[in-house]
Amino acid sequence: MEWTMTANAPGQVCLMQGNEAIVRGAVEAGINFAASYPGSPSSQILGMLGKIAGERNFYAEWSTNEVCALQACIGASLANGRALCVVKQNGLLCTADALHCAAQHGVKGGLVIVTSDDPSAHSSTNEFDSRWQAMSAGVALLEPTAMQEAKDMVPYAFDLSEKTGQIVILRLTTRVCHGRGNVVLGPLPDAPHPLEKVREWDRMVCVAYMHGPALEKLEKLREAFCESTYNHYQGPKKAQTLIVAGGTGRLYGQEAVERLGVEDRVGLLSLGTLWPLPEDFILPYLRNAGEVLILEEVDPFLEQALEALAGKHGLQIIFRGRSDGALPKIGELDPDNVEKAISILTDAPLPEKQSSANLDLPVREMTFCAGCPHRATFFLLKKALRQEKNPGVVVGDIGCYFMAGQSAGQYGFQVCNCMGSGVNIAEGLGQLTNYGLEQKVVTMCGDSTFFHTILPGIVNATYQNANMLMIVLDNSATAMTGFQPHPGTGLTAMGDSVPAMNIQRILEAIGCKVEVADPFQPAETEQVLCRLLKKSGMNVLIMRQPCATLKAKERKKPVKVWVDQSKCIGDGCGCDKYCSRVWGCPGNTWDFTNNKARIDPVTCVGCGVCAKLCPGGAIQVEGGEEA
Amino acid sequence: MLSTIALDTQVIQPGLCTGCGACQGLCPYWGSVDGRTVCFFDCERHDGRCQRFCPRMPVDLEALRKQFFPSEDILPEIGPYRGLYLTRAADESIRAHAQHGGTMTALVELAMKEGFIDAAVLTRSQGGLDPEGVLAASPEEVRSCKGSSFQVPPTLAVLNQALKEDRYKKIGVVGTPCKTLAVYKMRANPLPDNDNNAQNIGMVFGLFCGWGLDWDGLNNLALSHCNQNMLRHMDIPPSKFHSLELTEHERTISVNLDEVLPLVRSGCRYCVDMTAEFADLSVGGARSADGWDVDKGWNQVIVRSEKGEALLNLAREKGVLEFKEVPDGGLAKLKGASMGKKRTGVGNLKALGGLGYLEPSAALFENL
Repeated sequence: MEWTMTANAPGQVCLMQGNEAIVRGAVEAGINFAASYPGSPSSQILGMLGKIAGERNFYAEWSTNEVCALQACIGASLANGRALCVVKQNGLLCTADALHCAAQHGVKGGLVIVTSDDPSAHSSTNEFDSRWQAMSAGVALLEPTAMQEAKDMVPYAFDLSEKTGQIVILRLTTRVCHGRGNVVLGPLPDAPHPLEKVREWDRMVCVAYMHGPALEKLEKLREAFCESTYNHYQGPKKAQTLIVAGGTGRLYGQEAVERLGVEDRVGLLSLGTLWPLPEDFILPYLRNAGEVLILEEVDPFLEQALEALAGKHGLQIIFRGRSDGALPKIGELDPDNVEKAISILTDAPLPEKQSSANLDLPVREMTFCAGCPHRATFFLLKKALRQEKNPGVVVGDIGCYFMAGQSAGQYGFQVCNCMGSGVNIAEGLGQLTNYGLEQKVVTMCGDSTFFHTILPGIVNATYQNANMLMIVLDNSATAMTGFQPHPGTGLTAMGDSVPAMNIQRILEAIGCKVEVADPFQPAETEQVLCRLLKKSGMNVLIMRQPCATLKAKERKKPVKVWVDQSKCIGDGCGCDKYCSRVWGCPGNTWDFTNNKARIDPVTCVGCGVCAKLCPGGAIQVEGGEEA
Repeated sequence: MLSTIALDTQVIQPGLCTGCGACQGLCPYWGSVDGRTVCFFDCERHDGRCQRFCPRMPVDLEALRKQFFPSEDILPEIGPYRGLYLTRAADESIRAHAQHGGTMTALVELAMKEGFIDAAVLTRSQGGLDPEGVLAASPEEVRSCKGSSFQVPPTLAVLNQALKEDRYKKIGVVGTPCKTLAVYKMRANPLPDNDNNAQNIGMVFGLFCGWGLDWDGLNNLALSHCNQNMLRHMDIPPSKFHSLELTEHERTISVNLDEVLPLVRSGCRYCVDMTAEFADLSVGGARSADGWDVDKGWNQVIVRSEKGEALLNLAREKGVLEFKEVPDGGLAKLKGASMGKKRTGVGNLKALGGLGYLEPSAALFENL
């Protein structure tokens, strides 16, 4: 894979994932600097950049959070560096203040933000649409259709950014990030973009009087976009029925138009430059159209912009898309819903479909991995909270442990906002316990989130001495997005070893009352939880146990866990499938032949917690050797 | 209905739970904290020992009684009856720290020494606070459990664990009426696919009970009136005193009963058994119509079964208990008090709507 990122082989056709295409584009653009915080679906980009950074002589980092990443890129830009910032939709929102300020003061070296949106929220808690940020900040917005465009748009975006002195946002969606397609490689520069010393009178300062110049840049961009080859039209000369597509919508639209056989009467206008809207390019097509269907991912962004444009020019057009229900208001586009919308638009009959899509798949919730320490933590937390006189409040946060809201974590929390929110929401509730709210307040964060956005909240909650228990789920990994390094791991994106930051010592330095417990020692840790729930003020419990997936990789000889079925109570009174039904680890399965518990040896990683919980003492643990 | 949900909706949420512990020590789902019965996770079985054993789940009391006691022994007011006695422990060292006359401690010790039982499930508390269930396997351990508590610990959880272990084959159980009813429900072996070794229950010793108190409530009450560490005894004198007495080493503090009654455990308000009618024998404090001091330091004992009778006779023979004549009208007075509790319990149940857990035994309570 890495070869395709760094090969100087112009014209070579390579099969590439969208995320890889972005990396290749960045290398072809000769970037000097890249920074990111992991977030699906674009987590792989910086991981790959980190691996080739040495070879291509640029710098890459996993920043502590997205604000750090974007602001570091602004620093690189001031020295004329080409800087790439990679975020997901939530990450872009994190950077909002920095983004808007940067848009006002402008940039020097090209600054491109790749933001990946996750329509249908395949690996997110939401399907926010990044495009509004470009409109709000007043910066350029590009969106590729597929892998080739994804690669090509990166150098284009850097050029554009430098020409206009403005940030360019490149919006991807999950299908572009994770899909694969052919990419024709371009030439590689001999050296990265030349850096320039910051001169005495160089300025990148956000002040109100820069608002005007920023708006002028937008007009300059609008003109440039009218000439852009990323916008094109196919179809009859004067199409009464027009489809306008942004991003992946174009491919779905193209396919559907062909399948329905309406190429001769439907025009397809594809836009790769979405903001500022290339009005002069679009207007002639709108003037011919009576009905327009907009294909775009998530919000009716283009739809509203086109309606405004039509309104400005007094055009009588019926717009169809996300708003009017021609397409589903939520969720991603797919060949079926696009085809249906075009069929209704054109009265072309839907071709008969032969597929097995009607087969019902078993409904299966997301769950913690076998041996995940979070499962034990939330199991014990539920047990401890059930012992309280008044039901407690648990405030969640974002990480693998978000799944604790489902059966995997015993439906472990009542509220979850965004990364870093848990400690603050808990602080608010915790203060109210002094004003008549008789409940215990608990929140948690992972070790990566701890560094990302929890720290200021911990300082606040400690400063305000809120009555709350903060649980730090220290599994030594950014497990959810694929084990990217963070300040607590002692590694960097480029593979350097650095001193690992110790969460316990940081907390102690802040002045927190901190205790450490092992979620794999259920009896003891339940006692610790019960005791801490009774304590007033801000208390922190570090649940320390490495991520099971990491641990299984390190162990030399696997532990064998098995069920002595002669002792197993099974579904009888006294157990009722406690291991597979309540504890719920994927390794604990059910032997339907004997009506007894069973361990799936393939899934089990040998943590042995189920053996400690088994009411019949039937689960046996054998062997295992730590690396 | 699922077992845990059945108990939660029919017993715990309506405030009927006695905290006896009959549902505990059987599985990972039920536990207890400071007298509160706690469900940790939901069990999805449709039937289980927890709901079969619970003294607040419906049961036909008449049928249960007939299963274990001859019909001719049964008095409608106080249950199976073979005799009423006034007794106290002969051993002064037992009496010194006993609730009343130390009869229960002396009888359980004797039962163990004479092989009536090989272990005993009892309640131990220090001065009446923070009681806990104990499995005693020696007369010395039995003696360490003398005195009683108005807080109700889940003692039967200890019984359930002991039965599961199957180590002792004749376990004696000492408990308040709710607990002894649960024990007889266990003995009736209601769940055929898991008998929990109920045949290992050897003998049942009932304690008279008016009501128990809320765990935290009593702790706070004690805290506000005396030094909890110094507290060594609590008692309720006859009703005309209208007080709860807290005794430290040197002094006795009298707390107005008006302060105490709001702390009565909700589940006790629905109880219709004062004398622990399901037992081999039942023991309570003696209350003379002639005044508090007349019978102070004495117990009254109702003998209910042949086994109970045999033990009491042995106690007399061996001089373990001292006896005193039951005054005229003693039994009538006891019956009156017992009926009073039945009327109150039934009245409170009816206020919730119907007879609730007594519904299968409605005939027993129709005139109340």
